[in-house]
Amino acid sequence: MAIKKKRYALVIDSRKCINCKACAVACKAENEVPVGNFRNWINEDRQGEYPKLRIDFEPEQCHHCEHPSCVRVCPTGASWQRKDGIVLVNDDECIGCRYCMIACPYDARYFHEASGTVHKCTLCSHRIDKGTIPACVETCPSKVRVFGDLEDPASRVHELLATRRYRVKEPQTGNGPQLYYLL
Amino acid sequence: MGTTRMDRRLFLKAAGATAAGAVTASQAGCLRYFKKGRTASDDRREVPTTCELCPNKCSAIAVVEGGLVKKLNPNPENPKSRDMLCARGNAAIKQVYDPDRLKQPMIRVGARGEGKWKPVSWDEAFDFAAKKLAEAKSKYGPESTLWSSTEGFQEVFFKNLGLAFGSPNLVRHPTLCLASVNLAYSATFGTVPSFDLLNSKFVIMSGANRFESIITPDTMDLIGGVMERKAKLVYLDPRFTVTAAKADEWYPIKPGTDLAFILAMIHVIIKENRHSKDFVAAYTTGFDQLAEHVKPYTPEWAEQETEIPAKDIIRIAREFSDAAPRALYYAGRRSSWYQNDFQMRRAQAILNAIIGNWDQPGGMVPNAKLPKGEFLFMPWDEPKAPRVDEIEKHFPLAAKGDGVYLKLRENVLSGKPYPIKAWMVYKQDPLNAMPDQAKTLKMIEGMDFIGVIDVQMSDMAWYADVVFPESAYLERTDPVEVMPGIWPAVVYRQQVVKPIHDTKPNLDIVQGLAKRLGLGDYFDYTIEQWVEAEFRDLPIPMAAEHMKKHGVWAASGQPSYGKTLTPDHRFVTKTGKIELFSERLQEAGHDPLPVYAAPVQPPGDRFRLILGRVGYFTHANQSNNVWLNEFMKENDLWINPKPAERLGIKTGSTLTVTSSVGSVKLKARVTEEIRPDCVFMLHGFGKKSKMQSLVYQVGASDAVILETAWDKVSGNAAFHETFVKVANA
Repeated sequence: MAIKKKRYALVIDSRKCINCKACAVACKAENEVPVGNFRNWINEDRQGEYPKLRIDFEPEQCHHCEHPSCVRVCPTGASWQRKDGIVLVNDDECIGCRYCMIACPYDARYFHEASGTVHKCTLCSHRIDKGTIPACVETCPSKVRVFGDLEDPASRVHELLATRRYRVKEPQTGNGPQLYYLL
Repeated sequence: MGTTRMDRRLFLKAAGATAAGAVTASQAGCLRYFKKGRTASDDRREVPTTCELCPNKCSAIAVVEGGLVKKLNPNPENPKSRDMLCARGNAAIKQVYDPDRLKQPMIRVGARGEGKWKPVSWDEAFDFAAKKLAEAKSKYGPESTLWSSTEGFQEVFFKNLGLAFGSPNLVRHPTLCLASVNLAYSATFGTVPSFDLLNSKFVIMSGANRFESIITPDTMDLIGGVMERKAKLVYLDPRFTVTAAKADEWYPIKPGTDLAFILAMIHVIIKENRHSKDFVAAYTTGFDQLAEHVKPYTPEWAEQETEIPAKDIIRIAREFSDAAPRALYYAGRRSSWYQNDFQMRRAQAILNAIIGNWDQPGGMVPNAKLPKGEFLFMPWDEPKAPRVDEIEKHFPLAAKGDGVYLKLRENVLSGKPYPIKAWMVYKQDPLNAMPDQAKTLKMIEGMDFIGVIDVQMSDMAWYADVVFPESAYLERTDPVEVMPGIWPAVVYRQQVVKPIHDTKPNLDIVQGLAKRLGLGDYFDYTIEQWVEAEFRDLPIPMAAEHMKKHGVWAASGQPSYGKTLTPDHRFVTKTGKIELFSERLQEAGHDPLPVYAAPVQPPGDRFRLILGRVGYFTHANQSNNVWLNEFMKENDLWINPKPAERLGIKTGSTLTVTSSVGSVKLKARVTEEIRPDCVFMLHGFGKKSKMQSLVYQVGASDAVILETAWDKVSGNAAFHETFVKVANA
């Protein structure tokens, strides 16, 4: 059987997010993220005057872009992209110059003080390669994030993107972000 | 680039070395274990267990590598935790590897609260505590000892030790939390039901902030219902919480007036003949009295009380009854709000009853239960003395085994009806859980002896004479727990890793004390024997093997509804019916139907202090968990911009917040998300214990300024009755 092409993405239903931070702590444990740094986070938008108020939450992390500017600017090739779209940093090749941190439109990378290299969300590729789902997706009480393969028509991400309106963040950068926010 | 590379690498090596050096000094214990883990063989195990960070008891799967817990994943087999693990559950790893953790038994050497400790052997700690307890017994009788604890799988051993010792004075957490709501539903239905949020179409919540105070499976079911547009949510709260943000309608109700809103809803439903006539006739008693009782409680009257427009109250009542039986006035959990809290919850229960949502999909469902075996231990004589809190005299309907905490404190302080001289505490922090901390400190002063069993050096432990360090939940095996509900389950907590410090499970601590108190025979068993006995009656083949492998068992298939809806069913009430009118309450000297009394309003220069939660802190100890503390390092005082401007208060400025019992300093958060007549602060900060290093004297403890007040019927603490003065410090 021919190896099927894969393209991993996250579809995010922000309305369901209750800002409980389960995703952030699960990621911290799974990926040994140092205190003070996060690979995923929740944006808050608070608006209005009492009593007409609203709060919107928006979970965010690396967008695992189609054409990642972080990979383009990396002088050593440490930032790279897998065939399935996952953007990673090779720790041995990273010189800690942080160009990628500046190039990322989403501020999704951080400098790891102990290793002297740049770290970021790996979409839990170590889990995906074993056939499971990213830790943030798994632990979420309201199942805000849906992980899947855009090349697989049976994947739930397909159904959601086909039936619901959505947007991506900062499309004008040309990066082709792969975090789809349902409207 | 070459230069950059050299500099970067060199700089980091140097910086890394310094940082590591600094860390070693403070966290030696933890780092040593981590290093040991890294070099150990790369064995990876997955062990199912049950979370202990809050009362939900979610099922988790612990990933263990090299003898260390590396990750906790959700266990999808538990129908209550529904394949999720919240931030608290994920952060439980840090409870084990917390440098602040209690690592060995300690005896106080300085003054109480001074923080001078002598590490001692377990033998020394046991001998010391047993001697003190025996002294109290011989001088004042066994009833002079107080045994306080909060819910947990090993709590049974602690309570049994108190009873075997001969003390009737066991006191638990419910009257600081949910006693009023539980008693209100019991008084009406004879039991406390669950709420079928998964299938409900119309939900009303009074301050039950379910999207921030996470309760399983309610929070997840409500998200599904509300966000998939399957249910409408109406939410009443003086504060714009996350639940308010997600609700279809939010009403910033005037604090303490929820009862007026509910009575007006009942008024509208009965007046417009919208109640379920068949259900009311078949299963309830006292409807005519109720109809007469609610006549004066018109929507127009309720508008004056609640500040919710009468037309909205009428519309909500209509929509609510239209959606019946798939409609719910959700009960809530921490109901320690007002001195009439019981009657407010009773009115909710009555409103639910008259629309006939009892034992229906999308309504209230009596809990299904699963059987488990019992370990038969040697019985002891019942304690002879009456309870020190005089519960039978003052709160005849309250749960006797739980006690009434605030009345108990009053009596202990007055020395009447008899003196309390020794205090044993398990897994509880009365200094932060009870209002009016100064009073609790006074109670502590009056004790000849205080012993505390805990995982961390809580504020209570900080004031103890001896501290017994308990093993963290990931380090021990606990009794089997049956979880009743719409989706009942049995959960098991088995040891995941060996204790990394000189700690013991609570049973071992109880046995150590029992042996020296001459009570060893009553506790002559191992946790393995206890658990095996419990496994024996589980309705599954190979129960022990199943529970060890899966950590949870739940009956498969759909929940069953309507079992109690048969003509011969007797509710566990005096009349055998659902009691809208309660003779039992009347006999006990309380209103048989909920009577409204307008809450006293704060004078012009004061604010009502209200309390609540965020999703990542439930208990006072969680703010010191490094992974949770990252989200909020300090608590602040929420104040509406209008009064803030009048008082010259700006976000970030330090405030003095003063009540009649105390004063705290904390920073201001000027926010639109609260009514102008209230202020709000989060629980769990401003600790006195230096071994809660992240929150030691950071922010403020609500317990310092909360005044003592309780609900008359249940004895439940009333935390929202305190008025505070707020000024720039």
